[in-house]
This record gives sequence, C-alpha cells and structure tokens, in this order.
Amino acid sequence: MTLAADTFDFVATLVRDRSAIQLDRGKEYLVESRLAPLARSAGATDVDAFVRALRADISQHESVVEALTTNETSWFRDLHPYTVLRSTVIPALATAGRSPVRIWSAACSTGQEPYSIAMTLADNFPSLKAHIVATDIADNVLAKGRSGRFTQLEINRGLPAPMLVKHFERQGPCFEIAPHLRNRVMFRKHNLLEQPPGGGPYDIVFLRNVLIYFDVVTKRSVLARVRAALAPGGYLFLGAAETTIGVDDTWERIQVERGCVYRTREGKRI
Amino acid sequence: MTIPATWEPLSAVDPVLTIAQDLFTTMIDGEPGHLNPWAGADPDLEDPRYTWVDVNGPVVTRVMLTASRVTGERLTRALLGMDTVEYVCDADFADAVGEIANVVGGNVKSLVTNPGALTLPVVTHERPDMDTATCLLETYFGWRGAPLGVGLWALT
Amino acid sequence: MKALVIDDSRVMRKIVGSILSGVGFETLEAENGQVALDTMAAHHDIVLCCIDWNMPVMTGFEFVVQVRKRAQWRDVTLMMVTTEGEQDQIVRALAAGAHEYIIKPFTPEAILDKLQFLGLVEVQETV
Ligand SMILES: C[S@@+](CC[C@H](N)C(=O)[O-])C[C@H]1O[C@@H](n2cnc3c(N)ncnc32)[C@H](O)[C@@H]1O
Ligand SMILES: [Mg+2]
Repeated sequence: MTLAADTFDFVATLVRDRSAIQLDRGKEYLVESRLAPLARSAGATDVDAFVRALRADISQHESVVEALTTNETSWFRDLHPYTVLRSTVIPALATAGRSPVRIWSAACSTGQEPYSIAMTLADNFPSLKAHIVATDIADNVLAKGRSGRFTQLEINRGLPAPMLVKHFERQGPCFEIAPHLRNRVMFRKHNLLEQPPGGGPYDIVFLRNVLIYFDVVTKRSVLARVRAALAPGGYLFLGAAETTIGVDDTWERIQVERGCVYRTREGKRI
Repeated sequence: MTIPATWEPLSAVDPVLTIAQDLFTTMIDGEPGHLNPWAGADPDLEDPRYTWVDVNGPVVTRVMLTASRVTGERLTRALLGMDTVEYVCDADFADAVGEIANVVGGNVKSLVTNPGALTLPVVTHERPDMDTATCLLETYFGWRGAPLGVGLWALT
Repeated sequence: MKALVIDDSRVMRKIVGSILSGVGFETLEAENGQVALDTMAAHHDIVLCCIDWNMPVMTGFEFVVQVRKRAQWRDVTLMMVTTEGEQDQIVRALAAGAHEYIIKPFTPEAILDKLQFLGLVEVQETV
C-alpha cells in the first residue's frame, strides 16, 4: 500500500505545475487514496502502475489534478463575509452608483459560495442588478454547481432552513435551487494561474480557502492578478486562515464588525 | 396487485444504496467506502434479526433491514462509540438497529410523493409474515465483510 | 447553557448530546415530546432543543406546537433533527415555530454550522 517515491514525486510535480497546489512529502496517503478510484477504473493493478502509465499518456493528467483538489465547502461558510456583504459592501457599492454589481467567486468549488452570495442579494437587495461569475479549475465541481442540485448532506451543511424552503425544491434525493438563482450564477472553468476571466472588472471578489494550498510566490502572483481584475474601490474576501499581510502589502485589511474585507490602498481613496 | 408509480423508482438498488451509504459514512464509519453492494450469491444470515418501519400511506410500504445478531452488535458499538469487545444488551441493540431502520425508512419515504407517515421501528427474531406483500426490492449490502439485507415491500 | 435532546432513540440522544457537550452545553435528554415538556417545566434555563419527529406518546412536531403556546419559552431555540425530509414536512415544522431543521443522517459539522448561525456558539472559522 505504500506509494513509491517516484510515483509521489511525479504526481506532486504534475499537480504543482498545473494548479500550484502544493503536495509536500507526507501527503502520500492523500495521493494514494485520491488516485485509487482512478486507478481502479483504468484497470491498473495499483496507483503506482496507474501513474507509470500516466507518464506516457497525458489524456488523464487533468483528472489527476482534479482528483487532488480539495473541494470542501459549505453554505454561508464562516457567516461573517456574508454579513459584511449585506451590511457594508453592497450598500457602499449601491451608494457609489455601481450597476450592475460585478462579482467573481473564484475557486468556487461546487457552488455553495456563489449561490450563498446570490441568496444574500435576492433576500436583501431584490432590485439590485448583479452579475456573478463563479470559476474553478475542476470540471466536476463546476458541473455540479451548474446543475444547482445538492444532496441532503450538502444541504445540511450550513443552509438555513428558512432559505431551504424559500429557495430550493426537493427533486428525488436532491434539493434543487430555484431557476432564478441558478441563472444568476455563470459557472466557468478558470485556473488562478492564468489571467482573470472576462466579465470584469469586478466590484467584489471572493477568493476563499484556496490561497492556503499555494506557496507564497504563487499567492503573490494570484493576488496581483486579482488586483488587476478588481474595479477601483472594489472589495476582496479571503478565507479565515488567509491574509494579504506579509504577502502583498498593496492590500489593506479592513475590519467590519466581526468580519474583514480587503481593499487596495489606492482603491480605498476612491 | 399493481404498485403505484410513485414507489417504482425505489425498485432500483441505487437510491437505497446511496441513502444507506450516506448514513454509514456520516454516522457509523466516519468515512466512505465501507458499505457496498454485496458481491456474489445471497448470503445466509446466522441468527438473523429483522428490523423494519412501515410507511402508512395510500400504500403501506415496509422498509426492512436484516442482519445477523453479531453484525447488529457491531453496528451498535460503532454508533455508540463502544469498545469492540463490550457487551451489547438487547435494549441497546434494538435501539441502534431500530434507529438505522428509521433513518433509512425516512429517507426512502422522502423519495416518494405523498408517502404517508412513518411508524416506529420494530425488531424481531422471526421474519414477519409478508406472504401477501409484493416485494419491490430485496438486496444485500456488504459492511466490513458482513452482509446486511435491505428490502422494500408493498403490504397493501 | 442547557440543551435538551429529544429523541426516542438513546443512540441518537447520545450522538447529538455529545456534539452539544463538545461545544460547552450541559445536555438533558427526553425520549418523547411529553417528557420533554415536563423537563422544560422543571428547568427554566434551557436555551436549545434538538427535536426528533417520530416518537411515541408525543411527536416532536406536537412538542414544537406546545412550546410555541407558552410565552415563557419564546426565546428557546427549536431545531428539528429528524429523518423526515420531505419539503412539506420542513415547511410545516418551520410554520409551527421551529427555527432550524437537520435531516438525518448528519455530520457533527452540520449541527455546529447551525448552532453558529443561530448565534448559540461562537463562529469558528474553518480552514
Ligand atoms: C476548499 S475549496 C474552496 C471553495 C469555496 N471558495 C469555499 O471557501 O468554501 C478550494 C477550491 O479551489 C480550487 N482550486 C485549486 N487550485 C486552483 C487553481 N489553480 N485555480 C482555480 N481553482 C483552484 C479547487 O478545485 C477547489 O474547488
Ligand atoms: Mg425517532
């Protein structure tokens, strides 16, 4: 069951090159368990054999990268970003006359994040015009997000029951989000190592729980691209364990009640 | 006897397997992968126990789990976080397997339109008399090497 | 803070109870809605009830209806934790006065998410 060292190195290099996700030594179990299903369906005897075959066959490389992304997410994750969005950010953008408000949910995983944004807008600013672009590197999570269908276990993770009954409808084993919300979110494939997706400049960027997988050089370059895609005076939300401090000091961290949001230093003056 | 169209999707294994896998992953094993379709011939269950809930709707439908006493004890220990050697009394046994049937039954019920109300779980040594019932689904899952029978019957 | 876990299954009471005590609740248990009402009457400092639906003697739904009739229990948070997953049932429970709804099976995180959003425990930011 132990993975050969060169298997691990090959996979770690492939995943780092394609996605910047760092797989340090000691993550052998992760590679083994995430690739075992792929190896099985490819008919390989074990993960080592599967990876040996990969060296000659690039057609499977993308699914390997996909298998090594961590897609853990939940509705209204950490709550505070959504409170800040409602209490401060949207009102400020509305006062500044931004219409439509352009929002980018980067590394959106299966869509709970952009749909939580969409519900926040629908419930609190029903007449606000907004475009939400949701991107991720992995096709499987994008397909799930686009479908707007979530299992009971996924619904249980943080979706307030009043919102469940208001915005979802049961379809067999799943709950499906209302079409007007699903249509509000545009899912697109995008790698954070590349130029930001079209549709900007963005007034709000959610870039949550993804920088943690990158090394500091990558964090800096991703933040620089996000800065370039941000409209003057725009807002950036990071994950709870993430910060620009010590990484890219062109950003300023602003505490709002219990949450925080980042703005570029020149942006703030506008 | 004809079975109402609404119960028909449940004569396939997939939805029931998914329900059971979700339950085992979250509350019994703490990780996926330990509950799978049973491979091979239908197993013989040693010292079996029958646990069921009924859904009392326009059609009375029974969701029944069958497991050997030993497997039921292992499930009870897993749910209660007990040591692998700890003694499982009858009350805990019935409570644990009954709750498993309740969760499976409730989730199965949610897949049906206008299903009716769920009864409280019953656990017996004898297979209940279902001679006049129509079997919608009868299958086995394997949990850590042990077989678990799952079946759905229309009683009326 | 005191929480009351109401379920006819002892296994389920234990599972829910240990999640709650893990975040600092003192937990009490009741095996049906009637026992739960009696327990509520005897303990005036219960802030949260986790409520199964299907139980003998008095269902969780009936319990919610009864609790909502008494002004002194206005501030108690009521969270259904049940295998009943039809949309109609969820709507009914909320209309009767439940605040939250978790469908069995669930993970501990699902309960903790809800408690945080209900303001009953500090928001633990996730990594
Ligand atoms: C833990 S999820 C975060 C989801 C959501 N933002 C949240 O906070 O709940 C991380 C996501 O980042 C995506 N990801 C990883 N590397 C990426 C890259 N280089 N470009 C775009 N997305 C990436 C993964 O596919 C995964 O869905
Ligand atoms: Mg019950």
